[in-house]
Amino acid sequence: MSDKHGEEDKKAKMHLKANDLLCVNGCGFYGTPQWENRCSKCWRAHQNEMKKCQDFAKNRSLLSFDQFQERRKSTTESKSRGIKNLFKTSPIPEGGTSSPTSTSPASTPTRHSRRRELSPDSLEARQQFTDFLVANLSTGMAQEIARSVKNAVNKISEMRMSSDDMSELVMSYYQYLGERIGGHSLFDSPDCKVKVEDVMDQVEKYISTFCYSIFFCANHEEEVADMSLQDRIRSLHWVTAGFLETKMVFKKQTVRDKIDEAISELIEINAKRSAFEKLDCLTKSCKAIFEALKESEASTSADEFLPTLIYVLFRGNPPLIQSNVKFISRFAIPARLMSGEAAYFFTNLSCALEFARNMNHESLQMEKSEFEAYTSGHLAPPLSVINSACNQAIYVLEGTIETITNVAKKAGSLAKNLTNMHGKSDDDLEKMLAVIKETVDFYPTDEYMNMKQSIFAEEKETADILVSLSRQSSESGRGTLTDTQPSTPQPDTSLESPLIAEIQAINLTSSGNQEHVEEA
Amino acid sequence: MLETNVDQKSFKFKIVLLGEGCVGKSSLVLRFVENKFSCKHLSTIQASFQNKTVNVEDCQADLHIWDTAGQEKYHALGPIYYRGSNGVLLVFDITDRKSFEKVKNWVLEIKTCLGNTAEILIVGNKIDLEEERQVTRQDAEAYAESEGALYMETSAQDNVGISDAFESLTAKMIEHSRTRSTEPPSTNRSIRLIDNDEAERSKKCCR
Repeated sequence: MSDKHGEEDKKAKMHLKANDLLCVNGCGFYGTPQWENRCSKCWRAHQNEMKKCQDFAKNRSLLSFDQFQERRKSTTESKSRGIKNLFKTSPIPEGGTSSPTSTSPASTPTRHSRRRELSPDSLEARQQFTDFLVANLSTGMAQEIARSVKNAVNKISEMRMSSDDMSELVMSYYQYLGERIGGHSLFDSPDCKVKVEDVMDQVEKYISTFCYSIFFCANHEEEVADMSLQDRIRSLHWVTAGFLETKMVFKKQTVRDKIDEAISELIEINAKRSAFEKLDCLTKSCKAIFEALKESEASTSADEFLPTLIYVLFRGNPPLIQSNVKFISRFAIPARLMSGEAAYFFTNLSCALEFARNMNHESLQMEKSEFEAYTSGHLAPPLSVINSACNQAIYVLEGTIETITNVAKKAGSLAKNLTNMHGKSDDDLEKMLAVIKETVDFYPTDEYMNMKQSIFAEEKETADILVSLSRQSSESGRGTLTDTQPSTPQPDTSLESPLIAEIQAINLTSSGNQEHVEEA
Repeated sequence: MLETNVDQKSFKFKIVLLGEGCVGKSSLVLRFVENKFSCKHLSTIQASFQNKTVNVEDCQADLHIWDTAGQEKYHALGPIYYRGSNGVLLVFDITDRKSFEKVKNWVLEIKTCLGNTAEILIVGNKIDLEEERQVTRQDAEAYAESEGALYMETSAQDNVGISDAFESLTAKMIEHSRTRSTEPPSTNRSIRLIDNDEAERSKKCCR
């Protein structure tokens, strides 16, 4: 039985052909069933691919701005209860903070050590904050604010909770402090140079700088999500201004400079610590975009602005931009994000990020396969006029070619003009000569007349001699004429050439010889 | 959030401009804020974000006007723009039926997204091109009424009806914010917050 079984097994094995053992990817290596009939290499690649897909799907939902806003909204409604709980339980670290997503204990020690040694940024922020309070407010008030804020900072660094809960806490603190100092009569007096908003700006700056390491990118998942967004933007590098329908004129150096400025400001956001400064960078970046639009003589409406911002985002691919946006929306003073220029730019940046996340073949009006090929890097987008619009080198080349063509055209026309001029000058010369001749014929000078007369006289003399000679020869006989004739003109030719013709003419016809002389 | 009070005299409103590309959103704002019109859009100021203070019936309203990108590919980003706005100005081109149909889409979206928290004003622009009109005034008015929105016709080129449009939207927003401010949720919440903060403060000071 066992033998038979073995035999069957053997048989079955025998039935397997070499092809069946090969990797399903057809790479030529052998595959194994536990790797889904792939070889080791293809299996690893397949696994990576699967993981990437899963990661992206997961991160996409994490990244979703909407979800975050929803969450924020919902927590705002239950704020009061939440805050009560948080404050009650805050002294006991692991006490029942409502969210189980509080950061892992493992990361806590590093945080504490970071906090103990104040960074130069924090020291500077503290200095600025105290200076501001001392300079602008009464001592009592300054002390009160400083104490309150320091207390808040200490509390925050003791607490362990998710960023969203932290955001709630900080927001309510802003509101509380704003209302408390806002009620103070000091701000109503005309002597006061600062407004409540200015004080709040400083408070925000201080808190966000001091608690930066706690606030920013605290959640590992968010960091991963940020990385995958960055990868995504990198894979979209081929999406250039042309695809986004901007009217930017990249040929102009000034436009390119402004765009570069916008990109560097956008990257700078990550280097700043407070929400205020981050927003300031964003505002500068957006202003540079407007400058570039003006230089391009395009309209400065949102129809132009948003595509350009998206383009700048793609070009710059700023580090941790998603976390920065979340940081700003969590820890900036709410009023800052509700109205004003910075709020508008911030909204636009959120839009640009949302667009980058959800961009697909439909948003660019192209075939799905084409879009995917470009994104994965299998295919390079064609270098058409629009999508190479950013390519400086091509523009320089195009410019040079244009110049060369122009120069060649000009050289051609110059040569043509020269030939024309030559022809014309020849014509003119001939005409002028004719005119001179005519003039001279009509109004001969005395000298000419004298010369003509002397020549005429001389010729006549010669002719007379010739006539007499010919007469003599005709008298002496025909034979002598043929003998003497060649010998007589020979010496004469070197002296006066017209005479040869004259002599010949006389020989042929004795009449009309005078006219001939005149013409010569 | 924005402060709201029955006796309040000064307001701050966020208005979002929506509409298809080329219907004249930016021209409308430029005309309203700067009283300028330029065929080539060559303006010295940026048209996408503007502030203007308007006086309506002894009240002062600070309007923050946000322009949005009208191209189809950016349509999905609308909610990010109009989140938290008090008024929405939907612009269409009376010579372009398609842009009017688009407005209907926007209205649906806004209603689902913002509920009744924002006032809607529908504007038919380019009435200077009356002979090319494709959307009749009656149609547009009837539609606006059915959606509880205002309807006005303007011409950014000839400066017709633009300040009227913004003023009537402002008046409606003021009315809206007054009625809303008497509703319990918003006020209630802030009171509760203050209470908690007071308690929290005393705790902080003791420590």
